[in-house]
Amino acid sequence: MHAHQQKAMTTSTALRFSRLLAAVASGLVASQPLALSAQVRMTVPPQSERTALRGATIHTVTNGVIQNGTIIFEAGKIVSVGANLAIPAGTKIVDVTGKHIYPGLIDAYSTVGISEIGAVDMSNDVNEVGDFNPNVRTDVAVNAESRHIGTSRSQGVLTTLTTPGGGLISGMSSAMALEGWSWEEMSLESAAALNVNWPDPSQRGGGRGGRGGGGGPEGNRATYEERVQQLKNYFAEARAYRDAVAAGEQVRTDARYMAMIPALDRKIPVVVSASGTSQINDAITWAKQENLRLIIRGGDDAIHVAARLKAENIPVILTSTMDAPNRAHEGYDAAYSRAAQLHKAGVKFAISGGSGSLYTDRLPYEAGVAVAFGLPEEEAIKAVTINAAEFMGLADRLGSLEVGKQATFLITTGTPIDMTSDILQAYIQGRELDMNDIQKHFFEKYMEKVRQKLKIIS
Amino acid sequence: MKAFITSLSLGLLLSGSAGAQQATRTEPVEGIRDNGTGYHALVKARVVTAPGQALDNATIVIRNGLIQSVQAGGAPPAGARVWDLTGHTVYAGFIDAHADLGRDSVPRGGDVGPTHWNPQVRAWFSTTANLQDDANRRKGLRSQGFGAALVVPKRGIFRGSAAVVSLGDAGARDRILRPDVAQSIGFQSSFELGGRYPNSSMGVIALMKQTFMDAEWYKRAWTTYETSGRAFLPPETSEALKALEGAVAGAQPVIFETRSEEEILRGQALAKQFKLNAWYRGNGEEYRIVDVLKASKAPLFIPLNFPDAPNVGNPEASLNASLGELRHWYLAPTNAGQLATAGVEFAITSDGLTSLNDFLPNLRAAVARGLSSDAALAALTTTPARYLGIDRTHGTIAAGKVANLVVAKGDLFAREADIRDVWVHGVAYGVTRPAQIDPRGTWTVASSDQWGFEARLVLEGTVNRLRGYLDVAPGRDNAQGARIDLESATVIAETGRLEVRFNGEKLGYEGRALLAGSVTGDQFFGWTSLPNGANPSFRGTRTAPFTGDAVGTVAVNVPKLDLPFIRPMMDYGVAAPPQQPAAVFVRNATVWTQGTQGKLEGADVLIRAGKIAEVGKGLRAPAGATVIDGTGKHVTPGMIDPHIHSGVSDVNETGATIVPEVYMGDVITHNNIDMYRQLAGGLTTAMIKHGSANPIGGENVIVKMRWGSLPEALKLEGGTRTVKFALGENPKRCCYEGRYPRSRMGTQEIIRDHFLAARDYRREWQEWEKTKKGLPPRRDLRMDAILDILDQKLLISSHGYRADEFLALIRLAEEFGFKVQAIQHGVEAYKIATELAASGVAAAVWSDWGGFKMEAYDATKYNVRILMEAGVTVSLHSDNAQIASRMNWEAGKLLRTGLTEEQALTTVTLNAAKLLAIQDRVGSLEPGKDADFVVWSGNPLSQFTKAEQTWVDGRRYFSLEEDAVRRVEVEKERRQLIQAVLSVSGSQQRAATSGRN
Repeated sequence: MHAHQQKAMTTSTALRFSRLLAAVASGLVASQPLALSAQVRMTVPPQSERTALRGATIHTVTNGVIQNGTIIFEAGKIVSVGANLAIPAGTKIVDVTGKHIYPGLIDAYSTVGISEIGAVDMSNDVNEVGDFNPNVRTDVAVNAESRHIGTSRSQGVLTTLTTPGGGLISGMSSAMALEGWSWEEMSLESAAALNVNWPDPSQRGGGRGGRGGGGGPEGNRATYEERVQQLKNYFAEARAYRDAVAAGEQVRTDARYMAMIPALDRKIPVVVSASGTSQINDAITWAKQENLRLIIRGGDDAIHVAARLKAENIPVILTSTMDAPNRAHEGYDAAYSRAAQLHKAGVKFAISGGSGSLYTDRLPYEAGVAVAFGLPEEEAIKAVTINAAEFMGLADRLGSLEVGKQATFLITTGTPIDMTSDILQAYIQGRELDMNDIQKHFFEKYMEKVRQKLKIIS
Repeated sequence: MKAFITSLSLGLLLSGSAGAQQATRTEPVEGIRDNGTGYHALVKARVVTAPGQALDNATIVIRNGLIQSVQAGGAPPAGARVWDLTGHTVYAGFIDAHADLGRDSVPRGGDVGPTHWNPQVRAWFSTTANLQDDANRRKGLRSQGFGAALVVPKRGIFRGSAAVVSLGDAGARDRILRPDVAQSIGFQSSFELGGRYPNSSMGVIALMKQTFMDAEWYKRAWTTYETSGRAFLPPETSEALKALEGAVAGAQPVIFETRSEEEILRGQALAKQFKLNAWYRGNGEEYRIVDVLKASKAPLFIPLNFPDAPNVGNPEASLNASLGELRHWYLAPTNAGQLATAGVEFAITSDGLTSLNDFLPNLRAAVARGLSSDAALAALTTTPARYLGIDRTHGTIAAGKVANLVVAKGDLFAREADIRDVWVHGVAYGVTRPAQIDPRGTWTVASSDQWGFEARLVLEGTVNRLRGYLDVAPGRDNAQGARIDLESATVIAETGRLEVRFNGEKLGYEGRALLAGSVTGDQFFGWTSLPNGANPSFRGTRTAPFTGDAVGTVAVNVPKLDLPFIRPMMDYGVAAPPQQPAAVFVRNATVWTQGTQGKLEGADVLIRAGKIAEVGKGLRAPAGATVIDGTGKHVTPGMIDPHIHSGVSDVNETGATIVPEVYMGDVITHNNIDMYRQLAGGLTTAMIKHGSANPIGGENVIVKMRWGSLPEALKLEGGTRTVKFALGENPKRCCYEGRYPRSRMGTQEIIRDHFLAARDYRREWQEWEKTKKGLPPRRDLRMDAILDILDQKLLISSHGYRADEFLALIRLAEEFGFKVQAIQHGVEAYKIATELAASGVAAAVWSDWGGFKMEAYDATKYNVRILMEAGVTVSLHSDNAQIASRMNWEAGKLLRTGLTEEQALTTVTLNAAKLLAIQDRVGSLEPGKDADFVVWSGNPLSQFTKAEQTWVDGRRYFSLEEDAVRRVEVEKERRQLIQAVLSVSGSQQRAATSGRN
């Protein structure tokens, strides 16, 4: 186990016993060579040694909970998981007795890597110009050195669907493993899902202007109906393009229509950002006509469309489980209880961080809050693991602890979606991560200042 | 339907010389003199001489503009022009106590001369001296029955003086009844006058306070100057301050024009502070503060501005309609009636309507919804006459009074009786032309040409507002026949024509069908225009006369709903704040005292009279105590958030750079759903902060979450006074091009310069106090506030992010010999943890916010941890209405940085109290402190836990059980109100008012 994690536990222990700085300082100094603390986050090499973690409570998500279990992984993949496993000779054994192992959390809607500082435009690569950008893929713009990668991992988020915004058709979400020297090494699926911003129905009516759905400059004056028609046109053109190519017609290549073919062929889902009831209903009607694999993202009012979502088997990615209610008459817990209500209604859903890259590290709490308001805890875990993986076409690799899946998981003191437990260590594809991040780095650096100023360095 | 067949100006035809003797006129007559007799007898009318007093078949004699006599029966004197008013009702002319006549003079390029430094202060403006009201507005007011009005200027904050004028068409010199009656004051700036400050509601109030104080000073300064024998240079000349002399002396009334219930309360607070003789132009929300108004004797003028119905036309729209807006739609027409029932005296004004033509319909709606006709008449005649000081001459019909009369074709209040004439100073102004034809009744209409149709046309209502329907017999285009409601039916009086419009849909046409013809007796000839281009002509015969009332009656068309009083008047409002039991006992809970007793398992908490009496194990519950079983529950102090912006009308005063004179406590609003949600999440106390646009911003206010109380009662009594400072990006990028500062350097310097200026100000005051020589110094609220900062009476709570800027401010304060109380946000506070500790500066920070702008990039979740290790008093804050409603989870996040549970919780309880210097009152469960506490379902720091009860001052303001009940109530009322909206037809949804029988 890494030194950083020992540090965290040591300092915690020190604090729990005493607020006296000396005790903390001695704890810190004893366990933490100062030279190491200068490093923010090292990228580690691929797994080179078969490893077994032994003695943990293993939360497989798909196959129940294994008490005192063992998980063995090799070359980045899980080779066995269970109780009383025979550990082959030559396996590195790590004792994690008393700890818990969960699959890494997946944020189905994030901007980690493409957005660094909210108000600094030049640090953001989320929105491409125009209404129609199905061909853009976020992975190529992901900054592997982003500070948000480390902080998200520290809270258990190991995979993000890094997602573009803006326009009517924003582009492709890329599935990113949050470990690697470059975006290329991190990218799990370059084009995991096509993103559509459903127009805003409050712009309904007689062509009197107002904003369209996505804010593309050419759409600024259009009504809701016109925007929806525009969306239909894009898909009709794309379908025509696909059919012409399939029929062997000589067509001039169009990068945008070409990019939409996997979505038309139902190979990847189309994620539609829609929150109001009429938005969701209209999106479903549209997606059925287009024969698409629809996912609703946002879904604030999804409960009012629950019967249809269930009947059509359309999943929802909730983006705002900790938000204020949208309306004064709604209960104070309208957002908190949204997941539990959908669960009760039989609608499939994932929970996402919702607030972009800056706060992907809040994903565990976005899921945890649903538990306080009626969602069974295991369902909340699914909402940030296997459900997100299934919706986004990653379930063959991620989302649960099963043989053959990637060894991407967390070692914790308890459930990762409650702050009363700690995330101790994470593995991505079998790599034992450096759990340091910029925030821990500042902690170490400025605790050193406190020690120096108070002259109690041992 | 066409609302009125409006007047021809009978006034001109009849004007005569109403009262003027030639020898008293200053203006020579050009051309031939116009000398009518001015001698009239109005006979056979029902005369309502005063509210509740009527004479039938009465005669009113008018001579030279005055009422000579009024008596039952009686005969017209010889020589008088006789007006036979059989079937008519006569009322005293209405008086509009707050009229907008539409024209204030503002010179191009703004006001000139020695007026006031702030263009919003135009107290010198005299409506009397500048009377140039709009003839069309006068005519419009007359058409609603008004003969006199207080004309009020409308621009700026101090708008100038209002005058009582007659609404006849005499020249300006003959219309002033009382000049400069009152000063008018509004709660917002008019930026067409120029200037930037103030641009917030609290800035407006600060300017009001300063101006009232300046007006007092101005008089003293000039008196000192004159009595000194002009021994020194004179004070400045300000026509505006001079004009306010009477107001600040309590001699001249001031009228606060309000836009909300809150603004009435704000006006009352100002009136109290400056001992003003205050009048109020209300806003339609008075029914929400009837209890407050009942205790006030101040003149009140209420408008009849009823809101449009919320859009509930489709399921999505109805989902968006809040109970607050639905209730207001339904209740606004009951406003006047509720006030009258409660014994609150008021006048009714036409001001505040989008169209003057709504006045009488809305007045009738108010009557239909609970205002008695007598009370309505009093609010339009005797009451405003008394308020405006014209009751000797106006307000009733009596011998010797000015001949201002309203002649209506029946009961003006309970019926839809048209006004025929309005008399002003003995001159009759025609309002509604008597109709020449009456097409009401049942007609058979048939076409004999190739389009042939046959129909029955039924016309009802009043002649001027016809309604009806068409029964079309089965024919070629419609096999079944159909009944079609008319969209309009209009009589053109002059030509005897009737024009009808209806939707052709039921006849199979897409579009509107028109039908027009001439009515002579019981015959009707005309032709039609159908959507398909056909033009059948027809002939009609009246088969049955109209048998209904001659005049339409007013009826309530909304269902009767029982909507009990709640405060705030919105979703989750309550009938009254909760009771405070004499004793409350929490038994057998995990009690986080956050005090010296630490965390106790299986402990009890005893509360007496709203205070914590005892915490410990094995306590005994007093007899009669309210007992809470805490088994399995956790109990913590109520949480405290030192930084929110919800619950105030505005956040930033950006009109000036340094604004410590503005006070957030002046603009609290209780109509704030966030407060309810915050209570639901266990928050009991918060500081509402000014925004971060200014290096020195406004004074903050600490409130308790006393849901159901009015703004003043929300303030924490004796709460610490703190002032917002702001450093870094926000103040340097704010507001307008060229504003100083544009750098962190400049930010420190402008703060320093104001500290220095305040010292100079103090020295000048001290010198004058010693010598009493020269002009008396003026109290400057901005400088007073900065002196309070220097004297540590007003504690600095500074917004900022970076370590450097905080360090600079702390050193600047130390240079001036005081300390900064707290820094807020403090994303880089950890970098100067030891400096903060050494200087005794507390820090309020976020758990995990950061990265949203450049100066927030070095955020770390370990901020609290490092600060705590260094010995800084550190708390969390939200700066966000929603996060404020779940501060326990914010504290919980700190567990992952190594804090103990009690350390984590102290950041939202005791440490927050210490940061606000209110730890003697709140923050821990210790004897003597306020009984502000939360009962939780489990460990309050767990994401899986929720608040079950929230108590403030020993009163239970929130519980899950009550919340469940309220949700049901809210939904029930919303459902009823949405049905009510849907039950009234489209054209009547404008207000839940009245329909026609």
